[in-house]
Amino acid sequence: MTAHVASVGSTAYGRQPERSSRELFAEAVAAAFDDTDLTPTDLDAVSVGNFMGELIEDQGHMGPLLAEHVGAREAASVRLESACASGGATVRQAVSAVESGAADAVLAGGVEQMSAADLEHVTDALANAADDVYENGQGLTFPGIYALMSRRYAHEFDVTREQLAAVSVKNHANAVDNPLAQLPKELTVEEVLDSKPIATPLTRYDACPISDGASVAVVVSDGFAAANDLDVSATIRGTGQSSDAVALQDRPSLSRTPAAERAARAAYADAEIGPDDVDVAEVHDCFTIAEVLALESLGFYDRGEGARGAVEGETAVDGRLPVNTSGGLLGKGHPVGATGVGQLVELTKQLDGRHPNQVADPSIALAHNVGGSGASTTVTVLGGV
Amino acid sequence: MTVPAWFERFTDAIAAGDQRALGCEACGETTLPPRQFCPACGSTALTPRPFGDRGTVLSFTEISVTIPRFHGETPYTVVVAELDGGVVLTGQLRDATADDVAIGDPVALGVEARDDGPALVTFQPAEE
Ligand SMILES: [Zn+2]
Repeated sequence: MTAHVASVGSTAYGRQPERSSRELFAEAVAAAFDDTDLTPTDLDAVSVGNFMGELIEDQGHMGPLLAEHVGAREAASVRLESACASGGATVRQAVSAVESGAADAVLAGGVEQMSAADLEHVTDALANAADDVYENGQGLTFPGIYALMSRRYAHEFDVTREQLAAVSVKNHANAVDNPLAQLPKELTVEEVLDSKPIATPLTRYDACPISDGASVAVVVSDGFAAANDLDVSATIRGTGQSSDAVALQDRPSLSRTPAAERAARAAYADAEIGPDDVDVAEVHDCFTIAEVLALESLGFYDRGEGARGAVEGETAVDGRLPVNTSGGLLGKGHPVGATGVGQLVELTKQLDGRHPNQVADPSIALAHNVGGSGASTTVTVLGGV
Repeated sequence: MTVPAWFERFTDAIAAGDQRALGCEACGETTLPPRQFCPACGSTALTPRPFGDRGTVLSFTEISVTIPRFHGETPYTVVVAELDGGVVLTGQLRDATADDVAIGDPVALGVEARDDGPALVTFQPAEE
């Protein structure tokens, strides 16, 4: 059975402290069903990516809570947590359910309410993605972990702060025309470098913002699409997922992300394509270094070469391989559990020819979603219909 | 927060100069406690193996925005160092600031008790 994306929906990403997860999620679901003749009662399953519900809203058990809230009370529902890869994991679960024949119509969704807590507490909540004893207990923060990776990478490959900052400049510029984006900002490399330090060498604009938001995708089987005369938007060509040690110190290298390498290999094999076939990608750029590591892990660049993408314009909207045309996590925002599904929303629009930063006639799109500092990664390959 | 007993044993051993990692008899991998299985090969044949109190800096960062547990302590510097014996540990820099260290610098391992959580692993600049 082949899985298709029947429709997608998303809230804007940004600080919305007065709105709860259930309101955000319902808005995204309403947008997705607006586009189709389906209703949520047609769903066999609802899968919700969410990371910090307990920590910010005192709310666990998000699967049935949100399914019920969007009119899918009887669907098999579950909340999936894999830190910042929670959204990607729900997509992969939905695709597996449809491809295996276990379900015909699945809602893969993600939601996060982060801004209701103050900065220290949301930093603490994010730190749950790291090793509590060996990392957080030593005073390490989540940005701190990426800072360690950043400094080590720059040391090994002679890459400058300016070169890494080019990623932030590109992605913030891409956010300017995206109505869903939190930080539509024309920035210069100097402005990135001169912004407030968080964890040296990373500054405020090397990092994604604190965001609230929800994104969903309705994933259906080809049989279901035909029976319901659905005009589907994209086809899932392949998926991959892999994990690694949670603590950075337990991995052989501080400057590479092997789980992403393995997830990419699996997704390429599943889709029967290679990196050269990808026309547009959304990658997990929670920090500037993360996009560079992603480009290398996905096979778009050799080790040590990834920074060239943004510096030489190759990953710009009009470049050889446009990356994060949405604005990415840096510019569009990063409501943690929603991000992996939000990537699918953006790529579906690209394949459908209705993206605000439309690239020329793409036929293959790729999403890369990372949890923690690389301990979990999903890769999804989409094709046009 | 509660301090896991295994970590208390680990840091107590560092304080006593008798620090131990776990060595896998099947594949040779060295890992940190607590483990029942070797993460590299799945073997359960793990035995305590001493590691050195000297090492080199793999990376470091000065933290300005922190978590509630470290409220009021910024800025401070966190170091990841590889110790003699192949063990890699994360800890806080002492007797120096981020401006004083570089990747590859030699450091000495230490440990510092804390009232409100697990002990801190520490590193201080060392002679070559
Ligand atoms: Zn082993």
